[in-house]
Amino acid sequence: MPLRANLVVLDNIAIVPQYHQNMPYQQAADIAWNLLLAVERTGIAEKRDPQLTHEERFLAKLLRATIRHTSLLIIDRPALLLPDTHYPPFVATTLSRLEAHLNACWILDYPWNKPLYNLPQNAHH
Amino acid sequence: MLSMNWLISFITRRGAAALSLWRTWRGIFSFAGKVMVTAMTPKAYNSATRMVVIKQIYFTAWQILLPFTLFSALLSFVLITIVVEQANAYGFGNQALEISVRVLVPEILPLMTALFIALRSSTAINTEIALMRIHNELDALEAVGVDTMRLEFMPRVIAGIVSVLALTALTSTLALVLAYLAVYDFQVWSIPEFNLIIGQVFSGSVLLVFLLKCLAFGIAISVIPLAAGLNTPKMLFMAPISVLQGMVRLFFVLMLIEVASLALIYI
Repeated sequence: MPLRANLVVLDNIAIVPQYHQNMPYQQAADIAWNLLLAVERTGIAEKRDPQLTHEERFLAKLLRATIRHTSLLIIDRPALLLPDTHYPPFVATTLSRLEAHLNACWILDYPWNKPLYNLPQNAHH
Repeated sequence: MLSMNWLISFITRRGAAALSLWRTWRGIFSFAGKVMVTAMTPKAYNSATRMVVIKQIYFTAWQILLPFTLFSALLSFVLITIVVEQANAYGFGNQALEISVRVLVPEILPLMTALFIALRSSTAINTEIALMRIHNELDALEAVGVDTMRLEFMPRVIAGIVSVLALTALTSTLALVLAYLAVYDFQVWSIPEFNLIIGQVFSGSVLLVFLLKCLAFGIAISVIPLAAGLNTPKMLFMAPISVLQGMVRLFFVLMLIEVASLALIYI
């Protein structure tokens, strides 16, 4: 899903509860700020989409999905959004920081990327 | 027999082109109708849509306010000065104010405002929506339960209408002040006479046509690029073609609205 180019990251995250729950802006922005705080990236709050790096854009999109508190969050092929990052540790660190805000999370990736994740030999996912 | 085949082929090709044109414009009008109905439905507005509408107005009108106002003031001043000097030279100086206001306020300024916003915002809207369609982003939004009409299209149309109305009102007021200064100089005793002339220029029908024209400009500069973006085939190389088609259609519609308003007032 695209970030709105004319909104900063904080507003892009806050707009989700504003739209789905008609939450007042200030309340939604506070929740969005706490999520940015959790991933230690408050510095990107006032940036707009064209100013973001791949990692920052990934985080903005991840937080926008997290703020909905869905029962299952699926990250589909993270390498598509993180082409220049050794993404398994980056995604793992980010998800551990968001543990309190997530219910369940699946990462879908190609089988040939399995060695990147350092999974046990018998692991399927 | 050969000429008959040529005729059939010619009529078929022309007919297909006419039908394609008809479908395009029917699509644009149908889309405009849906957007206007959504915009007039109170349920369409919530915390998110209100914020997006405000941001859209900010980016369409507020950001260009200072340079656009300065430019329109300069243009108005130059045109008023030319009209006043020429009118005096030809011996009908007492009509200089009426002529300059008639040309500037209901005709040149709204068209200039619409063209300025079209060049700055409509091209961006057309490109943005075309790319969103090509990258399936509009489908993705719909898939997660976001009504794109409410969150993507309606705010842009409202911003287009508000921007044209607000900027035209501002530049028109400025032009009236400049016209007063050009004709009467820096004094206040001629305000009643000035008001009388402006009242004669802006009769009820002229004012109604002026307002309807600004409204039509506002709708056109947002609906036509949106519709062009939405009709873009899902191939990246079609994005610039979509923008080109949208802008050409928009230019013709703006000119058509201007000609229609002139005809309504003067014919």
